[in-house]
Amino acid sequence: MIALFMIIGTIVLFYAMTFIYKRFTYPLLIPIFSTTVLLVIILVLSRIPYDTYMSGGKWINELLGPAVVSMAYPLYMHREKIFKYKTPIILSVLTALFSGLISITIFSKLLSFDDHILLSLLPKSITSPVAIPISEAIGGIPTLTAVFVIFAGLVGAIFGPVIFKVFHIDQAISRGLSVGSASHGIGVSKLAEYGEETLTMGSVSMTLSAIFGSFVCPLFALLI
Amino acid sequence: MLKIIRIVLQVFILYLFSLIGSWIVQILSFQFPGSIIGLLLLFGCLYFKIIPGQLIKDGAGFLLTFLALFFIPATVGIMDYPEFLSWVGLGMVLSIIISTTLTIIITGKFCQYLERKLLEKEQIE
Repeated sequence: MIALFMIIGTIVLFYAMTFIYKRFTYPLLIPIFSTTVLLVIILVLSRIPYDTYMSGGKWINELLGPAVVSMAYPLYMHREKIFKYKTPIILSVLTALFSGLISITIFSKLLSFDDHILLSLLPKSITSPVAIPISEAIGGIPTLTAVFVIFAGLVGAIFGPVIFKVFHIDQAISRGLSVGSASHGIGVSKLAEYGEETLTMGSVSMTLSAIFGSFVCPLFALLI
Repeated sequence: MLKIIRIVLQVFILYLFSLIGSWIVQILSFQFPGSIIGLLLLFGCLYFKIIPGQLIKDGAGFLLTFLALFFIPATVGIMDYPEFLSWVGLGMVLSIIISTTLTIIITGKFCQYLERKLLEKEQIE
């Protein structure tokens, strides 16, 4: 009973936040962020522990797996364009992966974060359904990773357009690839405003960075 | 109504792919996201026309539209980590902002360079 209530509550709140975001499109109102903040506030105020919430939440969580599998479909639909630009795509996604991994490792060492935190930070640019199992596999804290991933996504959605302007990143492919491989789904959802080609490249790079990241992150973690 | 049944059935097919992916990972006993194996399997099946795109189109569209919703239970888990609201937490957020911004700049510039080279090559040919 409680479980069903949690499921319905999450969906209703998410739906309401999506409606509000469409109305105002203010970047911080992005539904994944606002719904999470509201849910945490409601749960903490009504003294409901996370485990109780998850008795329902786990059923929503269960759909992440098939959602990742679904990304095969857009990849298949755009296979010709992807094969045409395969070299820049693969090289850019790898560049993004390593720039992210190396820079976050440097900052973690400078600020002397705990090793568990650094390991949880590593998969931050990879879409959550893949970042979470990677974090588990390399000894990070999956919940922290889930939140770091959201922050990395918000950076792309909020600062992406500014970065494009300041650094003259003005081609559809480079816009899509850079934000897609740095800020995954949340960044990609923002790319929709730049048209079909940018969006396609965004989802391609997000998928590829999830695939490459699954191999690269665990190897990189061994070096630390 | 028919459309809802179709979506539910197609989501179930996609769920099977993700299950098969997890089984493969378990059998081979190595640490890897099973869903990515499922993704690669489905792409292979579509590419070699083992299954038609129509069989999963609506289910995939549905799941990708509500992608953000499925993340929420995991992110709400932050409530068990109140230490996140601290100076260390702030340091983490700043590191993520700078690291992600750098990633976008480096990748965007590098990609633009590659694209220009590809175009030049095409023009010569």
